[in-house]
Order: sequence, then structure tokens, then C-alpha cells
Amino acid sequence: MTASAEPSVTTEPTQRAGAGLRLRPVLGLVLPVGLAVAWEIAVRAGFSDGRLVPPPSRIFATFVELWQTGELQRHTIATVLRVAAGFGFGVVTGTLTGALCGYSALARRLLDPTFQALRSIPSIAWIPLFILWLGIFETSKVTLIAVGVFFPVYLGVMGAVLSVDRKIVEVGRVFRLSGPAMVRRILLPAVLPAYVLSLRAGLGLGWMFVVAAELLGASEGLGFLLLDGQQLGKPAQIVAAIVAFAVIGKTTDWILVGITAPFLRWEDAYGAGR
Amino acid sequence: MLVLDNLSKTYPNGVRALESVSLKVAPGEIVAIVGGSGCGKSTLLRLVSGLDRPTRGSVSLDGTPILSPHEQIGIVFQEPRLLPWLTVAGNVGFGLAHRPRAEQEARVAQQLERVALTDKAPVWPRELSGGQAQRVAIARALVTRPEVLLLDEPFSALDAFTRVDLQDHLLDLWADTRPTLVVVTHDVDEAIVLADRIMVMRPRPGTVFAEIVADLPRPRDRQSAAFDHVKRRVLAALDRSLDRKVVTNDGTTQAEAGAGAWW
Repeated sequence: MTASAEPSVTTEPTQRAGAGLRLRPVLGLVLPVGLAVAWEIAVRAGFSDGRLVPPPSRIFATFVELWQTGELQRHTIATVLRVAAGFGFGVVTGTLTGALCGYSALARRLLDPTFQALRSIPSIAWIPLFILWLGIFETSKVTLIAVGVFFPVYLGVMGAVLSVDRKIVEVGRVFRLSGPAMVRRILLPAVLPAYVLSLRAGLGLGWMFVVAAELLGASEGLGFLLLDGQQLGKPAQIVAAIVAFAVIGKTTDWILVGITAPFLRWEDAYGAGR
Repeated sequence: MLVLDNLSKTYPNGVRALESVSLKVAPGEIVAIVGGSGCGKSTLLRLVSGLDRPTRGSVSLDGTPILSPHEQIGIVFQEPRLLPWLTVAGNVGFGLAHRPRAEQEARVAQQLERVALTDKAPVWPRELSGGQAQRVAIARALVTRPEVLLLDEPFSALDAFTRVDLQDHLLDLWADTRPTLVVVTHDVDEAIVLADRIMVMRPRPGTVFAEIVADLPRPRDRQSAAFDHVKRRVLAALDRSLDRKVVTNDGTTQAEAGAGAWW
């Protein structure tokens, strides 16, 4: 046995990054918190009356008020449920059709041109039609969100399947993997990083379309809160709803990343561990 | 017995990569295939592995025709082709998924020990050096104990020191179970260190041009006169295989380029 003296290229970044790891999330708060504090000071010092752009303290008071009346919870739950349902439908259909079109050249030639044409329609343009077809209640809203989620997921999955390295697939062939085993042991893990990205893009669009859906006629939801604030001249309520969107959107993205991170620890990419 | 009978491969674009290659390889024999680029040596290996189908002719192992990948034929590619989402141990055990877990673990551990990478079992492939990664690829191919192991320029991407090291290492591993080895290489030294027989191929279309028996005792001394003698014969055959000759005025032929310029 002679092959032993080779130096390993392993590096140990965990020790070095210990302190930086804990501070990293804090770094992202510097800009928004700094701006909020500056505006608060400006209003308190009388540079502005803060009527149209309410200071953080007034927004916070609005939050507390909405919370105490139970309004905040009611609207948030309604919106989250819509996004969850639309995201669910969009992800399932987008994943299945994306995988089908990536795997089968026939399916791709048959379906992809139509999907690409539909994709170029601004999804908000569907709203009048969905309301006519599906009514003004939940079905049309969830459908709109699902349409928004579908396209990035579909494109991401199809592109990822198409770009799986032929050389890796050949390894599966050498070990005589069956079709399902090839999908489970080679194709799925290979597309996972791109898939997670497309899910995040889809989720982001889901949050965009829920607002569009709720602005066009809803009796509850954070989008309704926005419209209500505009019609009753309550800018603090509008900003509160916007902040709620930002917080919930970021949180759901963060949850998605957290769930998928353990499956992507193997990645050898520029951004890994940064 | 691995038998290649009249093997030919013409690609859809009309390129005749391989033309009527016949070869019999005895169990436990090591055959090296050398030749200039485009002489069909990689095509030959892909046909033997069952990854591609021949246009004409056949490959058979112990009488069984090979039309698709076969469990008794393993292959190591030029690149390690490790699966980045599996640990080193997971990669080595990739072909054992249908075996009981205890057997899988035992055989993976044993094979990792044979390639001196036991301590790397839990790490991701990205943390390996080139030589280590190729050793994992060899371990992955050998862990199922195939009768035949095909190697497609397995060490060509490595530096000279690592290459020599891995050649010796491969012979150690071969001594364990004595599988049939078919090694494609463009490194003449590598061919002579490893092989009992060296097939020199010529391109357009790819055919076997010469067969040289390397009847040297093992372990082989890369500096010995006998080694040098075989090397000169292989290099001469390679030169002739390229057919780059000039006809001189008195009608005799003369090699145009010196030995070693064949690639």
C-alpha cells in the first residue's frame, strides 16, 4: 500500500467563523432599524408632522391596537392560508409538469411552447377572468396565487432536469438503476439546489399575487387591511400591513431555507457557507 | 473470459470510431489499450461496459452477450464522477444498495481500508484531492467484486507522482481478487507497468494495429532494461500506427517523427 501520503485539501472554516456566524443576522438589521430610528427622531424633533409617513412609534401603536381587537390575527391567518393553498397547488403542478417536460422531449415539445406563451401574460391580467369563472371568493384568489407560483417552479424544475450532468447519469446506468431508482438516487438529489431556488422564487411571487387578489375585493386579509387604510385615510394601518407582509414573507422564506438546508450541505459552490 | 468479436461502431454522424476489433481477455489478465486520440479506445471501453451498443459485432462475458451494463463489469472513468450529495462511504457503497445494511457497511469499510481512505468515510467528495477522489471511484467500482474492471484513462488528470503511486496501488488491489482489467491509456509507461498485453490502436477507423506482450516479472521496475525494451517496441508500433512516413528518393520508407511525438 503506497497511496497514503497525499495531503488532504480539507479546510476547517467552522472555528474561524464562530463569532461571525452569530453576528451575521444582526448585520441585516442595521439599515432598516437605522432608518426607522432616524425617522422617529425627525418626527419627534418636529422636522415633520409624520401625518402621511407615520413614525415607527405610531405604526407600533397601530399594531398593538390591531392585535388587541384581534383584527391582525384574523387578517394574517386569512392571507397566510391563501398563500399556503396557492403555493401548495402551484408547487405540485409546477413540479410535476416541470419534471415531465424535463424528462420527456415529446412532452416538452408538446407543452412547453404553450406554457411559455401563458407565462408571458402578466398574471394580474387573469383576475377578471378568474372572477368571472370562479367567483369572487376564495377559489379565484387561490387560483391566481397558484398561477403565479406555477411558472417559476415549472421553469426551475424543467431547467434543472435538463441540465443534470450526463456523466453522473451514466454512473447510475453503470450500476443498472431502474427508472424510479434513477429518479430517486440520481435525478432528484441533482436537481435539489435549483429546485429550492425555484421554490423560493415561487413563494415570493405567491406573496405578490396574494396582495393583487386581496386588493381586488376581499373582506379580510392583509391586502384588505391595505385598501381599508387607504379608503379611511389611515397611513399607519397601511404601513403596518406592509410591515406585516415583509415580516411574514421573510419568515416563510427563512422557514423554507431552514427546512431544505440539511439536504444541501454537500454543495460545493461559491455561495456555500457564506 | 471476455470476448470482443468483430466489434464495430459507426456513430450516427458517419464517424467510424471502431472497425472490426476482436480480442480475447483471459480471467485475471491485464490488457492495456494505447493509441493516439480518436483511435476509438474510449469507444471500445463504452461498448464493453454496455453503455453503448455496437453497430456490428458483439461483446460477451463468459458466454453472456453484453448489451447493457452488467453487474460483473465495473468501470472507472477519467473523472472520478463521485456523487457530490453522498459522503465518501455513501459513494463507495452506491452499487450495494440492494444488499443487507450490515453487509453494505462491512464491505464499504473493508474497501475503504484497501484504498487507505478509512478516515475519509464521512466527508463529502468536495473535500478530497484528485488522487483521493479517483481512489474512491476505484473503490466504488471494486466493492461489488466485478469479474472485469474497465479503466478509461483513469490517472490522466493526476500529477506524475500521484499517477505512479496509483498505478502501484491499482496492482495491489488487483492482486486481491484478480479481476480482468482493461485499461485505456495514452501513457506508455503506465501501460507497461500495468499490463500483460498491450494493444496498440490506429485511428480512422479505429482498429487494433499491433499487439505487444509485456512478459516482465512483477513488480515491474520502471528503470530496468527489459522495461525500456518493451517501451521502445510500443513506441515504434505507435509511430508506425500513425502512418506518418516519407518516401525517400531510393524508395525506402523512413519514420518522419521521433518516438514520443505520436499524440
